[in-house]
Amino acid sequence: MELEPIVNVSDLKFSYPKREVLKGIDFELYQGEVVSLLGANGCGKSTLIRLILGLIKGKGDIAIAGKKLHDYSQKELASHIAYIPQYHNVPFNYSVLDMVVMGRVFKLGVFASPSKNDFEIARTALSTIGIASLENRAFGELSGGQKQMVLLARALTQEAKTFIMDEPVSGLDYGNQMRLLEMIKHLSSEGYTFLKTTHYPDHAIMVSSRVVVMDEGRIIANGTSSEVITDEMLKSIYDIDAKIVTHDSRQLCVPMFRE
Amino acid sequence: MEKNSARWIVISLVVLLVLATFSLLWGQYPIDLHTFIQYLGYKLFGMSGGDSSTFALLDNIILQIRLPRIILAILIGASLATSGAVFQAMFVNPLVSPGILGVLAGASFGAALGMLISDQWFVVQILAFCFGFVAVGFAVLVGTMVTNSRSSVMLVLGGVISGSLFTSLLSVIKYVADPYSTLPAIVYWLMGSLSSAELSNVLLISIPMLLSVFVMVIMSKYFDILSLGDEEAKALGVNVKMIKIIAILVATLASSLSVVMAGIIGWVGLIIPHIIRMAVGPSHRLLIPLSAILGALFLLLADSVSRLALSVEIPIGILTSLIGIPIFVIVLKNARAAWN
Repeated sequence: MELEPIVNVSDLKFSYPKREVLKGIDFELYQGEVVSLLGANGCGKSTLIRLILGLIKGKGDIAIAGKKLHDYSQKELASHIAYIPQYHNVPFNYSVLDMVVMGRVFKLGVFASPSKNDFEIARTALSTIGIASLENRAFGELSGGQKQMVLLARALTQEAKTFIMDEPVSGLDYGNQMRLLEMIKHLSSEGYTFLKTTHYPDHAIMVSSRVVVMDEGRIIANGTSSEVITDEMLKSIYDIDAKIVTHDSRQLCVPMFRE
Repeated sequence: MEKNSARWIVISLVVLLVLATFSLLWGQYPIDLHTFIQYLGYKLFGMSGGDSSTFALLDNIILQIRLPRIILAILIGASLATSGAVFQAMFVNPLVSPGILGVLAGASFGAALGMLISDQWFVVQILAFCFGFVAVGFAVLVGTMVTNSRSSVMLVLGGVISGSLFTSLLSVIKYVADPYSTLPAIVYWLMGSLSSAELSNVLLISIPMLLSVFVMVIMSKYFDILSLGDEEAKALGVNVKMIKIIAILVATLASSLSVVMAGIIGWVGLIIPHIIRMAVGPSHRLLIPLSAILGALFLLLADSVSRLALSVEIPIGILTSLIGIPIFVIVLKNARAAWN
């Protein structure tokens, strides 16, 4: 790990007119980490990542690679951090290749169009993710899992080394959830850094090098999954009874129904 | 893929050129191709041959009547279709037309006001141009500053308010206008026509119009990204605010100037981008330049029909609506796959 964090957030606050969402967040993300942000609905996870991406403005400091966020242009920021939103529909049914090549546009000059090289980079990204055969398919006709993979391929074409994902498995079937987590693990082994929000403690255990738990706008726990994800923590943030059990030296989260 | 794009652009440009040539030769006084080539040789290279009295007549027919009209049809068709495609991408809505921010309503009011207060045609044109911008400015003011919002939906609502306001003001002008002279002039002008085109005016206006279309074409790669929504576009490294400001400015300039020169010509900005999406897909890198060329082609065709088909010339605005509506119905029937 480098000493200087890629993302360094200190005393970050954010409020809507009638609601304080983040109440002073201190958070660091280092190169090579896979950090899962865990917490109940409305705890401020998505707000935190939107602030880090410069999509909204809050109070406090955010530094990216040692430089203050507000000193970055949107273009410079995109070369450091790629954002992978939840899969969605687009109003115009672009081809998969067109969707992926959009990750190259911020690198182009004003008069330039995506070149042969840009399309080649997009094709390579599709191959890396294992969906090269979808190149000419219409994005709108893909399954949720395929769409999410396309958005991941688009992030690769940005050539940023840090990926921020907002609930990446949301709406995917079980198989696609696992394939996406496998891909995150694979890309992490290739040197990519991940910050992702999730609603699934199991998924956090499976792929995270560190888990950060948020509750009511504050970080209440920060450490490895075995340190952080405990029966008590699950009870405290989700108000459920669950047990963390170990099977084949792997931790598993087993929810218990109340009698 | 990009080679494919170039092929589409070249083919449509050739078709446009052929239609423009036919349109130049056809009319109440048909010109045969041989005479036309002799005339071109005489005008461009000073070649002798041919009848000088015929050339004088052709000077009048071609340079004074047909050429300005053809150039104007091309400029306005390109401007409206390109502006339509740009606004559809920007507002993430395939049903948006160039008038979404009130530019057409504002320019119509300006022109009607000009006709009410002055006999001078340039006063009408200047007021049409200025009020086109005033209406869009008002829409932006209501949609962003008054509501303190950056959402495109609020901007569209600002456009609805501005458009309604200037349509109401236009009704006030119509109500107070002299029903025997000014009112018919306003009504006829609002129907849209290319018949008042003069070469010097057309050439003058071609500079800002071509510049606007050119800017929209070179920005086309950003419109794919803008259509994903503001937040995703920002995260993809695009300066959303700046691109939107430039897009609104150039689309308003192009649309305002089209109203200044020819009144209200509807449907071009709505149907042309749809037809192109059905034919070649939704990528704006091809959609925007093709909208410019096919918009020009469509309006030139409509104008040629309006000149040639009947003994009485039909205002082109009526014709584009009559042609546009059935095309739009067909497009809607087939478009679901193209835009979900």
